[in-house]
Amino acid sequence: MVFIAKDNRGRTPGSRPPRFPGFDVLNEVDRWDAATAGVVLARLSPSPELSFFTGVEQATAEALCDQLLAQHDDPRVPVAALIDVRLARGETDGWHYADLPPDGDAWRRTLAFLDDDATRVFGSSFARLTTSEQASCVQTVQSLGKQTWHELPAHQVWSLWTRYACTAFYSHPWAWNEIGFPGPAYPRGYKNMGLDKREPFEVASQ
Amino acid sequence: MKVGANLSLYSDVRSRNDSAWLLPKAPGFPHQLRDDMRRYDEADEVDIVIVGCGAGGGTLAQRLARAGWRVVALDAGPFWDPETDWVSDERGSHSLYWTEPRLISGADPVPLGSNNSGRGVGGSMVHYAGYTPRFHPSDFATFTNDGVGADWPISYDELRPYYEHIEQELPVAGQDWPWGDPHSYPFHAQPVSGNGDVFINGCERIGIRARVGPVAIANGRFGNRPHCIYRGFCLQGCKVNAKASPLITHVPDALAHGAEIRAHCHVSSVIVDEHTGHAAGVTYFKDGVERRQRARMVAVAGYSIETPRLLLLSTSNRFKDGLCNDEGQVGRYVMVQGAPQTAGRFESEVRMYKGPPPEVSCEEFYETDPAAPYQRGFSIQNVSPLPITFAEHVIAQGHWGEALREYMRDYVHWASLGSLCELLPLRENGVTLASEVDKHGLPVANFSYSMCDNDKQLMVAAQSKMEQILRAAGAIETMTIQRFAHLVGGCRMAASAKDGVVDANQRTFAVPNLYVADGSVLPTQGSANPALTIMSLAARLADHLVGASHG
Repeated sequence: MVFIAKDNRGRTPGSRPPRFPGFDVLNEVDRWDAATAGVVLARLSPSPELSFFTGVEQATAEALCDQLLAQHDDPRVPVAALIDVRLARGETDGWHYADLPPDGDAWRRTLAFLDDDATRVFGSSFARLTTSEQASCVQTVQSLGKQTWHELPAHQVWSLWTRYACTAFYSHPWAWNEIGFPGPAYPRGYKNMGLDKREPFEVASQ
Repeated sequence: MKVGANLSLYSDVRSRNDSAWLLPKAPGFPHQLRDDMRRYDEADEVDIVIVGCGAGGGTLAQRLARAGWRVVALDAGPFWDPETDWVSDERGSHSLYWTEPRLISGADPVPLGSNNSGRGVGGSMVHYAGYTPRFHPSDFATFTNDGVGADWPISYDELRPYYEHIEQELPVAGQDWPWGDPHSYPFHAQPVSGNGDVFINGCERIGIRARVGPVAIANGRFGNRPHCIYRGFCLQGCKVNAKASPLITHVPDALAHGAEIRAHCHVSSVIVDEHTGHAAGVTYFKDGVERRQRARMVAVAGYSIETPRLLLLSTSNRFKDGLCNDEGQVGRYVMVQGAPQTAGRFESEVRMYKGPPPEVSCEEFYETDPAAPYQRGFSIQNVSPLPITFAEHVIAQGHWGEALREYMRDYVHWASLGSLCELLPLRENGVTLASEVDKHGLPVANFSYSMCDNDKQLMVAAQSKMEQILRAAGAIETMTIQRFAHLVGGCRMAASAKDGVVDANQRTFAVPNLYVADGSVLPTQGSANPALTIMSLAARLADHLVGASHG
């Protein structure tokens, strides 16, 4: 049995009222294969010492990811730290838009641009802005669509940010608890397929 | 399994391919076969060196090894063991994709990686959904019959026996197929999940036909391959060995017949003898060192991005603009299918993550509809995005922050359909070399893609049909993401050198002992997933090579 502290069970990001009360994918860890358990459980505790982002970039990246994923309360899925691990390893999606630099550079440059915007419009670095000021800066980029933002196609920057942020967030067991997804399924599999059919470990949505 | 058919099917399959019986009864890959694998010296002149060990290369290697050829297949990625290397997790499956750098450009840039690009023995079939439809006879003459696309230099009838063979070897499960050339499958269809139920219900209510399959997962055991456990992670590599990929359907038999499959070998050029004009082997990087493999014949099977890239990188005095590129055809006419996916929200819990993502198909709209303003058509199939991919669907609606989280909390109530639209082959769509280089210092591919008007109309029509089906099944809300799927073309097959890179037997027009054995030879793509056709073409190529060598 993998040790899971009591206050960690059934956890959801921000401890929101659950839609799937009592559902915890980590209850099933004993039924996961070793290779899968290894990669999933590692996400619960990425190193707090980031290795790709600088301190300033880390602050901006954390605030940006919290905005994109509405993570305004603890406990938070460590999205920026998980992105940092990816970028440090050069684990890209296997392509980048010809109009953007490779992913690592693109992250560094766009975080700096976001800070520039924050300073110009609100007079402070992005990480120090209020939540609504940060949201306004983020909305500006999304609203530009196919127009350029600091000479980069805004929709491609948006794609970069949201791809990395959603990949990190929705790979985390706390996020799976929130959406009712049981996560790894080998060698267990599923027996009850069909509309409104559930396994014993699945919980009906409220 | 159809009653009474077992014995004759098994003996028929085993007379061609024993892979399913060479796998271990426990999960994983047969390590003894790998340990005992024949190994050639790089100074040996083997009969053929094959670049890439996926749908095309893996099948070709198996067929030629069984015919007694001395075969070396090189793959840039790992030699997988499904049990230890793959995980039942969306994010953790990153290593299955071609993640070396590539650029995408054009008016409609096409994401690569997880979407359509494999790496390692088994190729992208390791992470394909598992749909294995045949092309329709109409696909082979769209220029003549529809005035668009291109005619193949071969007909459907020439491919049919190979379709039948490969369907048995994978094997394919599905209901009797009413579309194209009507046919049946070696295994009965799989049971369907809530996602499949929704699709079938919706089609029934609007009066169109849907069928379960065709899916390359046996409905039952097959050799030593166990029954599917319906865990839903087909796109992350099948740890169960239930879903077919060349790694388990053809590679074991290739090894048993003396093929060497050399993993982690990135081929950097095809060597052409300046005096004879014949291919003499390849150069490749292994652990950072450039090596050579001599061969009497070379087959390139790196798929629609890497095959053109390799030919463009293989320059010489004779081929200054890239090998076989005298007519400027290398890297041209690369195609992807327009693949909008529409999700519908239901009162019931659908839980589309359960069961294999490939379930039900509809090919009612595959051919040109004379009443429609566009040529050619589309198919519709179940898809079942896991959470990270479903988040992309939500983001595509413009949601982020709170709205994103709320839609995602509703994940278990959504069902999804995906369409495959036959986008037309256009000369401008394709692969060129970028100034950016990979870790070996080789220029990477830039894949440029832009849609034409016919393409855009098809995408709209497909979306509208999927919305109609989902609404008829009871969806109270729908959302659609515009996307692309699959890759074919780039070194297409043609009747003459001015129109393509290879002839009807997949031999390059420019080099008499150089072949292309992957999806890049396809002149058109239909609305069918390409894996079965790529494998069938490779099996046909093998028959041709073996026949030719017997004189």
